[in-house]
This record gives sequence, C-alpha cells and structure tokens, in this order.
Amino acid sequence: MKRGLPGTLVLVLSLAVLAALVLLPMWLVGSSSFKLPREIISRFPTFFPHSFTLQHYQKLLGTSAFPTYFVNSTLVAACSAFVTVVLATLAGYAFFRLEFRGRDFLYRLIMVAYAFPSIVILIPIYLMFAKVGLIDTDLALVVVNVTFALPFSIWMMRTFFASLPRELEEAAAIDGASRLATALYILVPLLRPGIAAIAIFAFVSSWTEYLFASVLIISDAKRTLPVGLSGIIGQYQIDWGLLLAGASLSILPVVIFFGFVGRWFVAGLTEGAVK
Amino acid sequence: MASHNPSRAKSGDGRLALLLLALPLGLLAATLVVPMISAVNISLHDIRVIGSEGPFSGLDNYARVLTAGSFWHALGVSALWVVGNALVQTVLAVLAALVLNEKFPGVRIARIWIILTWIIPTVVVVIIWRWMLSPSGGMINPFLISIGLIDRPIGFFSSGPMALASLILINSWRWFPFVAIMLLAGLQRIPADLYEAAAVDGAGPIARFRAITWPLLQPTLLVLTVMGTLLSFNVFDIIWLLTAGGPAGASETLPVLIYETAFKAYRMGDAAAMSVVASLMMIGLAILLIDRLAPKETGR
Repeated sequence: MKRGLPGTLVLVLSLAVLAALVLLPMWLVGSSSFKLPREIISRFPTFFPHSFTLQHYQKLLGTSAFPTYFVNSTLVAACSAFVTVVLATLAGYAFFRLEFRGRDFLYRLIMVAYAFPSIVILIPIYLMFAKVGLIDTDLALVVVNVTFALPFSIWMMRTFFASLPRELEEAAAIDGASRLATALYILVPLLRPGIAAIAIFAFVSSWTEYLFASVLIISDAKRTLPVGLSGIIGQYQIDWGLLLAGASLSILPVVIFFGFVGRWFVAGLTEGAVK
Repeated sequence: MASHNPSRAKSGDGRLALLLLALPLGLLAATLVVPMISAVNISLHDIRVIGSEGPFSGLDNYARVLTAGSFWHALGVSALWVVGNALVQTVLAVLAALVLNEKFPGVRIARIWIILTWIIPTVVVVIIWRWMLSPSGGMINPFLISIGLIDRPIGFFSSGPMALASLILINSWRWFPFVAIMLLAGLQRIPADLYEAAAVDGAGPIARFRAITWPLLQPTLLVLTVMGTLLSFNVFDIIWLLTAGGPAGASETLPVLIYETAFKAYRMGDAAAMSVVASLMMIGLAILLIDRLAPKETGR
C-alpha cells in the first residue's frame, strides 16, 4: 500500500518520538559519563559534552568494587544462560517431538510457573538455601535465575521446534542415524537461532535480577552488578558522574551481546508470542 | 505446536521424555513447587528468627495480616499500580507496534533496538530516571519549564500520587518495547489483502484500524494484558530502589510490604501469609481474566 505525504510525515514523526523515548536517555547517560561534574548537573543539559574527563571511570574502576560486581554478574549470567539453554532444549525436544501421557498437562503447568509471583517463593527459598548452605554462593543465583528463565524459554522453544520439518528427522532415521546423532547433528545446528534467543533471554534476565541477588548474597565480594550498583547509590552521596559511568559500563556488555544475537531474539519473540 | 499424530507415538517416547524432563522439571519442582508448599507451612507458624521453626500458630498470621490496614492499603496501591501499568504500557506498545509494522528503511534495526530499555538492568533504569527527574540538575524540570508546562521545579518523588505516577511511567517505559515486539507478531499475522480491499472500498487509515487492526489484534492484546498484569504485580526492584514504598507508603505495593515484613521486621510467618493470599489472588485473577474476556480460549 502506498503512503501519501501526510502518512509519511506521521510515520517519520512517530519514529522520531520513539527513538527519542528509547535512545535519548541512553545517549545522555553515556555522553554525560565523560563530562565534568559541573557540566553533568548544569541547568541546561548539553547534548554533546563540552568537557571531557575519564575521572568517573578511573574512580569506578580504581576505587570502587565495581570490577568485582561486573565479573560476578558476567559469571552468573553466563552460567545461567548455558544451563537454561541445555534444560530448555531437552524439555523442548520432549514436549514438541515426543508423545507421552500427561504432556499437555505438564506443558500447561510450566506456563503457570511463568506468571508465578516471585515474592511468594523468596522467603521459602531463602530458608531452604540457608539449610543446605547455598546462601552467599553464585550457585544459588544460577539456580534461581534458571528457574525464572526456564518456563518462558521452553515456551519460545516450541516455536523453533515447530519450524523444523519432521521429515528431516525421519529421513535421518531411515538412513540409520540414531536419535542422539539426529539430535546433535541435525536438530541442534538448525535450532541455533532459537538457542541464541533463549541464551540472550536468560542472560539478560540474570544480568538484571535484583531481588534474589540482594537477599541470597551477603558478602560484598560476591555481589552482582544490580545489587552492587544500588549499594554505590547510597554509599557515595549521589556522585552522578560515578553512577553514570557505572550505568554505562553495565549497559555495554548486554548491548554488545545483543548486537550479535538480538535479531534472533526478536524473531523468536515475535514468532513465539502468538500461537 | 508440533503436529499431534498418535500413530507416530513410539513405545520408547515415554521413557525418553521422562529422561529428558527429569532435570528441567525436577529443578522447577524444587524451586517453585516445594517453596510454594513451604510458604503455606511457614504461614502457619509464628517465625520471628530466621532459621528457627517457630511454634505452630494456625491461622493466627492470616487473621493478623488480614485485619491490619497495611495489607489492604498495599493491595489498593498494587491495584493502582497494575491498572496504571497495563493502561500506559498497552497504549504505548500498540502505538509503537503500529509504527514498527510499517515498511521503512532501517525497520529491522528499529525492531531490534527498540528493546534496549528492556535489556538494561533495573538499577540502571533507576539511575537514569533519578538523575533526569532530580529537582536539582535533572533535565526534565528545565525542559518542562521551558515549554511552559510548569513554572518551578517539581519533586517527582516527593508527593504520593506524583511518586506512584512517576513509577508507573518509568516502569512502562521499561516494558512497553517488549510488549510492542510481541504485538508486532499479531499485526504481522493480519493478511495484507484485507487492508488492500478496505483501501479499495475507500476506507481511510483510521477506518482501517478500527475495522481490521483493532479487532484482529485483540486476542494477542488479551494474552499480553493478562501476562502483563501478572508480571507487573511482581515488580519489586524498581519501586524499592526509587521510593522504597514511600512517601508515606504511597507506593507500597504488596511485594514491597511482603519484603519489608520479612527482611526488615523479620516476621516471616506474616510475610508468608501475605504472599500466600497474594498468589491465590493472582491465580484467581488470571483464571477470571481469561474466562471473562476470552471464553473461546478456555476450550483448548
């Protein structure tokens, strides 16, 4: 369908608003992290920095525990993403390629788990983990993050399995390939976009998780970025330069990661959203 | 859904499924089902010290919690929070999805990067908005003054209604792109020839939206609204980090109250009782919403 001039104008204008809404705050945070403190809080914000300094980054990386938080978060998020991918792929194969009793019931149960209020299990999880000695460990966070990422990931998996023609597997079976070989050499490579989508979903969920990380981790050396950064907010009496540098460095890895696999994620989301 | 063909069922499928599902389902059982049962158990005990069992107290915790004003106040705030978020997020998401459904150069990039607000940690969202909304040095106040909307800087988190409204806007800003991307799927499923036929009949863009887009988008919108309601009820960190439930409890939603009761007042039994009531409400709400709004959906 052709767009007239008014239509084009409306589209361009809406796109500009949308871009401003999403990108402008990010740009301001990133560019301001290089500004001198007095420019950061100047009455009329500068779109392009007039001053340039690395002092906020030096302070952040040199004197705060930020690097430790960063490493902890990366480790926890990477492990959570890996475990989620493995478990969601196993479950995906079972749910969408095998016939067994109770399949639909179990699948629905997993969907309920997705909407489960996390605050309800916070207290029991805390008490349970205290009993088995998991408090203050990275493992505790990985377990919790996988739990929250798994239901949605299995749900997304359905789309990716549905997009694979069954004939491929049947042909492989006729050729004498075992089920394991078929799965490893035929399905997994074809599922790569799906695996990327699930990995980024799990990574991002873990990277941004605050509630459980704040309760299950006690020692400062084990804190993740969200909890560590929130501690810095209170610790230094609102040092905006430091916080903006911290915010910029917390966004950077997910932005880079997302740059590589983001399109798979969006494809998975748009296709998985509706039956 | 994978094609469902019983003739393909193999006798080995059941055993293999059990093997493959043992780990994922075992994990979910251990971290969701067991804690849920345990929450009910905790709610029946008077636990004041973490790690202690506490004496059995029957429904005392429930009676105390449900007769206290704070629970009902928090429930009310939660209701405002959920409805406010649903409205703002849905409107923004529908508009964004309509824009992203158009064809224009760079549409693929726009569809991927709009979701930027979702991939950054909540604590960063908090830093961004605390900075921009700050009455001293933030840029929103000077901007609003310069366009003549206000005549002196306002404190976005200093009055109750303003704090809740600001929180809803910030949380919606964070989530609307995620919803928009899912809505896109619904939009893309609408056959293009419907629009072409309508255009031939002389329907303008608004008429086409009302006759085609809106009705056909509703099933998707419904699923997302139910999901969004449940998810925004759960939101804790953004509220906790920006206002901690204040000022004077104006933004104290149920999760915030539960967290405070458990980890500030150390009344685990009371907190568990509240969370059991909250989850029963959420499950009830989910069933009600799906039943009332989409009778067709329940048959499956």
